[in-house]
Amino acid sequence: MPADSEKRDSSDKENFWVQWARYSELALIFPAAVVVGWLVGAALDRWLHASWFYLVGIVLGIVAGFIELFRLVLRDWK
Amino acid sequence: MPEQLWFTALLNRLFAGPVTALLRVIHIEPHHPAAPIPNSLAMEILVFILLLVLFLLLRSRLSVDSPGALQHMFEGLEGFVQDQSNEIIGHHSEGYTAFLTALLFFILFCNLIGLVPSFESPTAVVVVPLGCAICAFFYYQIQGFKHSGIGYLKHFAGPFWWLAWLMLPIEIISHLARVLSLTVRLYANMYAGDMVTLVFISLVPVALPIPFLGLHIFVSLLQTYIFVLLTTVYLQGAVAEEH
Repeated sequence: MPADSEKRDSSDKENFWVQWARYSELALIFPAAVVVGWLVGAALDRWLHASWFYLVGIVLGIVAGFIELFRLVLRDWK
Repeated sequence: MPEQLWFTALLNRLFAGPVTALLRVIHIEPHHPAAPIPNSLAMEILVFILLLVLFLLLRSRLSVDSPGALQHMFEGLEGFVQDQSNEIIGHHSEGYTAFLTALLFFILFCNLIGLVPSFESPTAVVVVPLGCAICAFFYYQIQGFKHSGIGYLKHFAGPFWWLAWLMLPIEIISHLARVLSLTVRLYANMYAGDMVTLVFISLVPVALPIPFLGLHIFVSLLQTYIFVLLTTVYLQGAVAEEH
């Protein structure tokens, strides 16, 4: 059925674009999570007069980046 | 005095007094009290006026029997956003189309206005993409709360209750990183596009800049699409039934 296959082709193409945008996000979300973690940690350091929250923030940022990466890969793998 | 476009100069001549007074009320001292409106804000206001005029014009000419070219174009774009959000979010996506379409038009016009001589793209100034990203962030969070109520907070707690203390800061960082990621992507691409076009226009003003202007249009369209698409993906995550 040409109409059905056409529809499926167009849907696949849309899926490709959505997938492409999601994967392109990874390039930025990983460093962005580290920077945000560091900023949040530095803000907490300033607020609580401590000097170690920024390290915790950076570590949590790295973990957040990895979690996003795994989520994306697992979602497409299923 | 900062370098001003003619439209910025016009706005500053008309509104510098009230704007400076307003900023001082909220304890902000502008760098240039005689010209408190920057080019980026002036361009945003221009885009707003352009869109308003365009839609009023469209409204007055709406026709079911013989739709004009403008109506076809806008209906096509709205339909595109509708189809895309329907595919990503699902059958209940109609309520979000208005916001996503407004975001699409605003960013697209902001990107493309830089091609008009004597204007510049406001999205090449970091605060404008940041503003758009913050709007998108608050919109999808509010929709998440509207959809799931207080249960939306479970999205931040992770899959196991005993892991919530660790997952909560990680999820907060992950959501805030989306704002930064949306901002940097749009800003960096538009800034780089502007710079490349500007460099080639200053080097060889005839013929050679045309491909780069074409590239600028392509980047503008692509970045608008990615911004709206990722906002839709975030929205889908916020209003998803199961997590």
